[in-house]
Amino acid sequence: MLEIRNIEKYYGSKNNVTKALDRVSFCVADGEFIAIMGASGSGKTTLLNCISTIDTVSAGDILLNGENIADLSAGELAGFRRERLGFVFQDFNLLDTLTIEENIGLALSLNHADPHMVRQRIEEISVKLGIVDILEKFPYQVSGGQKQRAACARAMVAGQSLLLADEPTGALDSRASKNLLEIMTQMNREMGATILMVTHDAYSASYARRVLFLKDGRIFNELLRGERSRSVFYHEILDILALLGGDISDVI
Amino acid sequence: MTLSKLSLRNAKRQARDYLVYFVTLVMAVSFMYAFNNLIFLEEVQTLAESIAMLPLLIVLASIVVVCIIGWFVSYTTRFMLQRRSREFGTYILIGLENQQVAKLFFLENLIVGGFALVIGILLGSFLFQMMRAIILTLFDMPYKFAYTVSLRAVLLAVLYFLFIYLYAQRKSRRRIRSMKIYDLIYFEKQNEGIVIQTSKKRRKIFTASIVLGVIGTLLLLMGSAVPGILGAACIIVFLYGFFLSFASGVPAFFEKRPAGKYQGQTLLIFRTLTAKLATVGTLMATISLLFTAVLVSEGTGQCIHAILSNRAKQESCFDLFISVEAGENDYMSDYSDYIEKNVPVKEYRLYDIYLNDNTQIMDHIEKYTEYYRYYDGDTMMKFSDYAALRKMLGYPEVTPVSGTYLVHCQYYLKDIMENYKKPLPIGDSELMPGGVYTEYMNQNWSGNGHQYILVVPDEVLADRAVNHRIYAAMTVEPVSEAQYQAISSIMQRIYEESAEMEYYSSFYAGSVVKAEAASGIVMMVFPLYYLALILTMTAAAILTIQQLAETDHYKRQFVLLGKLGMDRREMAKALRGQFIIYYVMPAVPPVLISVPFIYNLGKGAEPGIMIGTSSPFMITLAALALFFFFYAVYIVLAYTGLKRNVLPE
Repeated sequence: MLEIRNIEKYYGSKNNVTKALDRVSFCVADGEFIAIMGASGSGKTTLLNCISTIDTVSAGDILLNGENIADLSAGELAGFRRERLGFVFQDFNLLDTLTIEENIGLALSLNHADPHMVRQRIEEISVKLGIVDILEKFPYQVSGGQKQRAACARAMVAGQSLLLADEPTGALDSRASKNLLEIMTQMNREMGATILMVTHDAYSASYARRVLFLKDGRIFNELLRGERSRSVFYHEILDILALLGGDISDVI
Repeated sequence: MTLSKLSLRNAKRQARDYLVYFVTLVMAVSFMYAFNNLIFLEEVQTLAESIAMLPLLIVLASIVVVCIIGWFVSYTTRFMLQRRSREFGTYILIGLENQQVAKLFFLENLIVGGFALVIGILLGSFLFQMMRAIILTLFDMPYKFAYTVSLRAVLLAVLYFLFIYLYAQRKSRRRIRSMKIYDLIYFEKQNEGIVIQTSKKRRKIFTASIVLGVIGTLLLLMGSAVPGILGAACIIVFLYGFFLSFASGVPAFFEKRPAGKYQGQTLLIFRTLTAKLATVGTLMATISLLFTAVLVSEGTGQCIHAILSNRAKQESCFDLFISVEAGENDYMSDYSDYIEKNVPVKEYRLYDIYLNDNTQIMDHIEKYTEYYRYYDGDTMMKFSDYAALRKMLGYPEVTPVSGTYLVHCQYYLKDIMENYKKPLPIGDSELMPGGVYTEYMNQNWSGNGHQYILVVPDEVLADRAVNHRIYAAMTVEPVSEAQYQAISSIMQRIYEESAEMEYYSSFYAGSVVKAEAASGIVMMVFPLYYLALILTMTAAAILTIQQLAETDHYKRQFVLLGKLGMDRREMAKALRGQFIIYYVMPAVPPVLISVPFIYNLGKGAEPGIMIGTSSPFMITLAALALFFFFYAVYIVLAYTGLKRNVLPE
């Protein structure tokens, strides 16, 4: 579904170029759950921003369902984000003036969905994510975990095909993190959501089916979970991180 | 870096970040200075006796203005304190004492205020010249530009300003002194708890307040004192109730229509608005109240101006105009003796006014408009007298057609009279309508008829009894105050002598009528506009400061919406929508309340006064236009500023 071909991204002026992404290539199949790991500055957020069309690449192609996103105009990109991509951010990014229900419905109204359908769609998804009870509340009245689940609901409610998550557990305590990751796994398995998650937390990454390791803008390694249990996979991730070098071990 | 240097730097930043505040302060000072300059203007004091009250009125208006600006400065200072609490917390964190921080903030505000004072006074002296020009024109006096700075006016402005600033700063000083670092650093978080609260009670208040608003407006329209005060009270309660409960009314509205809120940008616009209202509901109500006061004062000002100047036009067309009831004594000679000796006259006419045996014309007029029956018959004058008066006043000549009568009436009766085609019996003769004229000709009460007069061939009136005699003259020089007093005392004497006979006489001097109207306008209309302008500016400035303070919030919101795939055009549309509603809301109740009020006020004047450019419709329009002009300046400032900073590239 998603194909990344030799993308490069440079920052800075002529004399002082920083290579944020260096010939990165990989594919994401329909219904996959991929985690991208790396230390701060390894280029993982840049990669996510390029895929999410918020940022542009310096070279290379990003194809989503065979469509090159570099060929789209600004207006088409906005439409593309609305219809195809769902976002989950570290700091939730819910509008605090809207109730949880309205935050979820916002994605639909941006898509000019039939207003009469909105309520029904919100109900469906919030039952699945276990947030029916908090729909009437405002973001400041609910917990971080609930906010993040609401963000997941917003990311999926308009039928987006690719869910992009940037450190989704970053602001959550360990119990809420576990809960969220289980929900994401459930979304992946039962609702067929394709998920691309950026994280520097090995525990979060262990929920994915495949983990890509990024270092200095390049793909350093790739790990597949296969049929192994999550705890075995977790330890394997830790082993790779140890190989990656000291700078990441301090965040584990 | 010393404290004073830091204060100076902060002052610069404050003037930039709160440009709207600074500009409003400058404008307020300049208005205050310009108006107070009138107190010390000697020219004004010699203009008319009645204008002696002007200084008192200006000082009274200035006291109200000082209170309003005091509130404005104090509100803005508190607002800045909130916005910058983290910065102040940091000062204390790095070792400054609370007292030093308070001093820092005080100095900073003093610098900003001082600059506003100096610029305001410079600007104000030009504004004062404009006002001087207007006043001298009103009094028909030559205007010559003379740039003067009155030391006393400057001192008065400084005094007002000290009151305003010391009041505001004392409050903030106390606040800073008692603050703890934790409170300062986490001040922003404290606000966020109370974004929205919904309850049934609020919904009830919402309904009740709307009802009160309607009742209040109706009471105001009744036009008398007690219902007026009750109405004003109702409206105050309505405004506060309405804005405080509105935030809960909207969610309730959408709860019943769940589909409605997901239509287009409705959701974003209304939620932003209700969130804002929940925190600034009281402020919105206060601003709405101020706007109501602005519109009512502007409308009242327009009305007073129209009434005074239009009445004066009617009554000042002759330089001297004396009317005496006919009777056994010829009191007219008392007047003419004095005038002959003391007032050089260019041209004069002594003539008689007669009454018809019927009220045929009056009956016709009464069918179409409200008319006060002052005479028992239609008033009439001889054509020869009429022609002489027209010549004296410089109006075009009219040629008589035998068998017809002319009508000379106030402008508002023109159409009514032109539609009248019936023959008119006068004694034995019968005349046909021959034309309608509407120039000013002193046609009130005992003048040339009450609002209309019939001009008939001389011979028709030959044997008729005289109702009253009129002496109308144009003088070489405008009638002076002393001459006016002398003639008035003659009138007084006749009144006393003829007490039993009840001889009625009346007297107008064109120059005095004009001067009285002018001083009435200066005394009543100027202070009203002074207040209205200051109120508009402060209220609009506070709304704008509130709006601009949301810049970061809007920015975050639109960055997120951009990520979610909202395109720029739709964002601009949503921002515009939020903006329009934010600024329109506090203006809607004032417009709804004041439009019928002003219209009604205009209708209340005697007929024939509120016509043409000062018809009730036009003065309402003018009051609205004046208000929205100044309001729009602030809206445009805020919108361009916000759009530039908020929408992503």
